[in-house]
Amino acid sequence: MRGAEMRQTLLTSDLANADTPNFEPTDVDFQAQLASAIGQGTPPSQVTFQASTDPQTTNTDGNGVDPSQTSADLAQNGLLYDALAQVVSSNDQTLQYAMETQ
Amino acid sequence: MGLFDAIEIAGSGMNAESISMDVTSENLANAQSTTSASGQPYQRQVVQLEETGSNGFGAALASAMTGSNSGSGPVAGGVQVAGIANDTTPDQLVYDPGNPSANKQGYVKMPNVSTVTEMVDLIDESNSYQSDVTAMQTAKDMFTAGLGILK
Repeated sequence: MRGAEMRQTLLTSDLANADTPNFEPTDVDFQAQLASAIGQGTPPSQVTFQASTDPQTTNTDGNGVDPSQTSADLAQNGLLYDALAQVVSSNDQTLQYAMETQ
Repeated sequence: MGLFDAIEIAGSGMNAESISMDVTSENLANAQSTTSASGQPYQRQVVQLEETGSNGFGAALASAMTGSNSGSGPVAGGVQVAGIANDTTPDQLVYDPGNPSANKQGYVKMPNVSTVTEMVDLIDESNSYQSDVTAMQTAKDMFTAGLGILK
């Protein structure tokens, strides 16, 4: 959820700067970074996500933002966050149920 | 870095786009203004946008306060209007001898505003505004989902 939150902020910034000349879009692939950290045995809570810029330019004014792609990523990221929130919530409910049955 | 930042950044985008729309409307409204305060024909105004937060006080504070758990790398910044400048494209000369502003040859200096360009700009700005609104809505939904865990 921390990763999705960070990605949301970065993508929103890309969209807001869709008309800013020479702006380089930023993004973070937190899922890959989380997976590699878990693979190395780092606890997920200690992972620092690294954002990066994508220097490719698509427009004549040097701006590299693709608004439709960014909007799609944004919607997908929002849904992912909702799904993660539901996982946390259902985990909580399971625990609560276990405590109630005592 | 949090969801409130996303909402704030989307807000800055909406603000910048609405200023751009104001300027585009001004250009459209003055497309036929042959005299302005300076006595010359109206000059097309252009909005210059720039990214904020990447080298400002907020970013410096955020990077100083960065804990081990926050993200690193480039900081997400909003957008702001750096300035509104004159478009230096030359005025168009239109033959209209009956116009009071016409010169001896019957030509009138018309503003360097192309209505077609302005209409396209207007659509572009409107689309950007809407995508900022969607981004803000998504961030709001995410926030609500996060709060929903507590229920």
